[in-house]
Amino acid sequence: MKPRLNKTVAAVATSALLLMAVPAVGIASTSGASAKPTYTIGYQGPLSGGNQQLGLNMVNAVQLAINQANASGKLPFKLKLATYDDQGDPTIAPTQAQAAIANKNVVAIVGPAFSGATAASEPFYHKYHLATVSPSATNPALATNHWNNFFRVVADDSVQGPADANYVVQKLNKTKVYVVNDGTSYGSGVAQAFAAQATKDHATVTPATVPGTSQCQNGTASSTEYTAAAAQVVANGATALFYGGYYCDLGLFLGQLQSAGYTGIVMSDDGALSPALIQNTTPASAANGVYLTCACASSTNKSFNRAYQGLAHFSAANATYAPESYDATNAIIAAMKKLHKITRAGIVAQLHRLSMKGMTKTIRFLPNGNIAGTAIYVNQVKNGKIVQLGLE
Amino acid sequence: MKRYFANTHFKRLMSSVAAMAILELMTGPPGSALDPTAGFTGSFGEASSFFGLFRTQRWVVFLFIAFIMFGLWTSWLTWGAQVKTATTKAMSVPRSVSHKQPVRWGVTLVLLVVALLLPHLITDPFWQAAMVEQIAVYVLLALGLNVVVGFAGLLDLGFVAFYAIGAYTTAWVTGALPTAAPFGIHFNNFYAIPIAIGLAMGAGIILGAPTLRLRGDYLAIVTLGFGEIITIFANNLYGITGGSQGTKTIPHFSLHVGPVKYLWGLTPVPYYYLTIVFVILFLIGFRLLEHSRVGRAWTAIREDEVAAESVGINPLKYKVMAFAIGASTAGFAGVVTASQSNTIFPSSFTLQFSINILVLVIFGGMGSITGVVLGAIVIQTGSMYLLHTPPAGYQPQDLYIYLGALLVVMMIFRPAGLVPSRRRHREIGLAEAGEGHMDEVLTGDTP
Amino acid sequence: MWEGPGFSPALPFLITLSTDRSRGAQLGAFGHYLTGHFATLRLEFWALFVGGLANGVLYGMVAVGYTLVYGVLRLINFAHSEIFMSGGFAGYFVMKAMVGNSVPSGFASVSFIVIGILVGAFVGAFMATLVERVAYRPLRRRHAPALAYLISAIGASYFLYNMAGKEFGRVPISMPQPYINHPIFHIFNAPVQMYYVIILIAGAVMFLTLDRIVAKTKLGRSIRAVAQDAETASLMGVNIDRTIVLTFIVGGALGGAAGFLFGMGTGVSNTMGFVPALKAFTAAVLGGIGNLRGAMIGGFLLGVVESLSVVFVQAAYMDVVAFGILVAVLLFRPTGILGERLGRAA
Repeated sequence: MKPRLNKTVAAVATSALLLMAVPAVGIASTSGASAKPTYTIGYQGPLSGGNQQLGLNMVNAVQLAINQANASGKLPFKLKLATYDDQGDPTIAPTQAQAAIANKNVVAIVGPAFSGATAASEPFYHKYHLATVSPSATNPALATNHWNNFFRVVADDSVQGPADANYVVQKLNKTKVYVVNDGTSYGSGVAQAFAAQATKDHATVTPATVPGTSQCQNGTASSTEYTAAAAQVVANGATALFYGGYYCDLGLFLGQLQSAGYTGIVMSDDGALSPALIQNTTPASAANGVYLTCACASSTNKSFNRAYQGLAHFSAANATYAPESYDATNAIIAAMKKLHKITRAGIVAQLHRLSMKGMTKTIRFLPNGNIAGTAIYVNQVKNGKIVQLGLE
Repeated sequence: MKRYFANTHFKRLMSSVAAMAILELMTGPPGSALDPTAGFTGSFGEASSFFGLFRTQRWVVFLFIAFIMFGLWTSWLTWGAQVKTATTKAMSVPRSVSHKQPVRWGVTLVLLVVALLLPHLITDPFWQAAMVEQIAVYVLLALGLNVVVGFAGLLDLGFVAFYAIGAYTTAWVTGALPTAAPFGIHFNNFYAIPIAIGLAMGAGIILGAPTLRLRGDYLAIVTLGFGEIITIFANNLYGITGGSQGTKTIPHFSLHVGPVKYLWGLTPVPYYYLTIVFVILFLIGFRLLEHSRVGRAWTAIREDEVAAESVGINPLKYKVMAFAIGASTAGFAGVVTASQSNTIFPSSFTLQFSINILVLVIFGGMGSITGVVLGAIVIQTGSMYLLHTPPAGYQPQDLYIYLGALLVVMMIFRPAGLVPSRRRHREIGLAEAGEGHMDEVLTGDTP
Repeated sequence: MWEGPGFSPALPFLITLSTDRSRGAQLGAFGHYLTGHFATLRLEFWALFVGGLANGVLYGMVAVGYTLVYGVLRLINFAHSEIFMSGGFAGYFVMKAMVGNSVPSGFASVSFIVIGILVGAFVGAFMATLVERVAYRPLRRRHAPALAYLISAIGASYFLYNMAGKEFGRVPISMPQPYINHPIFHIFNAPVQMYYVIILIAGAVMFLTLDRIVAKTKLGRSIRAVAQDAETASLMGVNIDRTIVLTFIVGGALGGAAGFLFGMGTGVSNTMGFVPALKAFTAAVLGGIGNLRGAMIGGFLLGVVESLSVVFVQAAYMDVVAFGILVAVLLFRPTGILGERLGRAA
């Protein structure tokens, strides 16, 4: 991030200003003169408010990709990051989108992070031909709006949900399935797609909404609800449970499921695919056996993890959507490299033609902006470690 | 040893040092679960420049500031009273001028012109958008909540419910919900305004009529519950509201009267004018209301409900009225938000939101229309400024640390708000002089 | 379109139907759905009851903090959720230091849990005094209006939980377990977990102690005296400031201990206090705010009813049930189940 020195000076200056006691003396930072033109890649996502951790996970990865690109020395330009904090809130998102558009240096956006914020921002980005590559907006409806500037490096819910359902019902032969979603736009989207396909596969499906908890910062419910929800799953007699949502709430749920004596299988989506799931499950053994699926091969890229840790001061392994953000940024950089004259519209056109090997998958976009390739990998927690089993 | 602790100078010095230590933590680097002490050691031990003079550590800088603070504090205690009287004297001439009717009209007119010209003075697109979505809408909401909290003295922690009702009504009327629009017709957004205001008021009456008999704190928790319930329903009734997936696309406002055709679009300025017209209407309405029979009845109920009842005021009737009127502005604010942002999601309507609006009202000065408007503008502009141009070293995720500290400090030094309402100010003055019971809070025997 | 289970637009008032029952509803046979449901109810009843009771004890412990402060100061301590959170974090750090990666059992488990509770209580009490000192006392000196206290408390709450997030990270952390959670015994086939037993025992001990303290000791008498009539109490030689601080200490200690117990089951995070405190506040109002036994009973009731409600409604509507009960009770008994009477009898 920024050098500590400046930060401290600024902090002192701020506090001095607050006191109105002493005049602040700041040290003006001078950037090294460079003949190369500088372009800015924007990031839009939640950097404050209830969902900021997801945003922090992403923005560190974006910064890492930019730093590495600048350090590589192969670029004919220099890159900079500008962040647009929409708090994940669709009412703030358009305001920030307009700020990003107004910044003439911004050539493309990584984000918006949340589906709701994306839906609210895209009309603006579309009007000004500014490419947006989202690492995490998975609502299927987003790709149906004819926004040619819209891209995402994650598979949408309509790809993952049905594949998961087929795996549970046909491969694992579970015919009584309990489908829980966390009440978020992401979780309910995956769960909905799962339930629809499982019903088609002639399984008995019991859907339920158990909203995310305030403990996990993207919900408002109390984690005490999992006691009751787990008791219901057991009483239902289901042999499989699908959870649409994020790792944090699933971790709380798993502990209660074990307590309630649930013995069936548990499967969840890529929002739950994180080693943090195991750290977050009390007791950790309750996470064993859980299936986690993702449209991505497991990202055990050691050098990435090391570099990320160095930058973010926390492990990349815990950072949901960090690898996707890294790929999204690199996709934009790759598109920029192909252009002689870098324009916003030019980047949009290049992204449509792009095909590159990313860290999580091969990045190639369909005309509607969705990522090509629908390979879903299935992982399982074994002895406290996530192990990739293979393709579904 | 004990003597030192009892010494007021020592206490003051320690308080200054403690305040600075907290400020140091607030502005310092963050820690993490893996390294919980990093934030503390970094905040105090990190290298820092002593106002550009020499290199040292953070704690030295802050200790220095603490001494300055101690000095200022002590001198304020010595000369503060003199400064105050001098200021009052100096202000007496301008005050007497500002109290004159023509001057007040003149100032109002100037402010009105500035408000109308604002989009041409501020051309930064971020600020243009923020002026509508983050400032004008919040001004509206604060104005509405002020009627409930400031005028009638009712603590409402679920104000967001009416905002949500307004927003979802807009979606319903324009056909953006999974439920069929009324009569199967997709109405223009303008029709949503009266319907949303009507429904919000209706909800206010339905909620208020049974619950407004309850005393203050019970009312607070019931309204809070109402706010939560509305959000939960919006989030889970997939067939009606679209659930957590949000609504379908809500159209923009459009005007089609005879030869006049106008479509509000993505640009915020037209929305600014639409909103500002309603802000002015509500302002005038509430100003008139404040000084009308109804306003006086609210004051009477707020100050002493039993006495008010004994002179023939029906408290329930006026309380419900306050609730409904307050709800109407939130309903309208919902229409603007829904139309301008095109889609709405239940996740926008949280308890946090209700509390934030309450903070605007109390920060600005409960019961004072000027204060509330100013409070909303100051806080919203401030947080938007930090969002847009974060100063170096400021971490956006720390916004609520600063806001929280600001609220505590503000309540200690200016409990009646930025611009206290004159009547409230008098009530507090009476309470301080021990002549009246301001509220029920026990003040204790601290000197 | 994703339809919530049991929901069809044609039956907007049956939204609360849970899944099994929805099949009955689709058949249009109300009786069918009821019978089907009570079968499920029997099966789940005890499991839900025990879980709900454990939650209820935690709600009650937090509610006591609200009710004590309300009884004495007539204000809602909105920063109480952060006192709960501080107890959780204190417990976490102690467990991390003591338990680490080991798997204690027997005597070690018991002593770790007791230490955890005590540390949680101590830190909770400390934070409560700090909040009183910084956010309330200056306002009392200035005779600020009641709403100013509320805003000050909200400010303190924002400050504390965001500060905790800044220093300890904003992701939830699982607490090292000082014991092995396993079913101890069964009530009608429903397993009763060790965790619940710990909460129930700890809760019972704390409630009985508190009840005795308030009823019998000098401290209790002064709290009751101040609650009843502060002016007279002050004339009778009760130090009001001291009593207020002690009230915060007692309430904070229970809140902090509850925070540790809660965190032991579900981990700690900077936002962990928010919802449990909201529920606890509801429980306090439900029982009659200002009334100690009312807070406990309100807590148990809310926990159990909320838990059992999932048989009839989806978990998503649990909060609706909680607030619905509150409104219903308040409409018929405007001062809560036991009424407000910290002053008269505890």
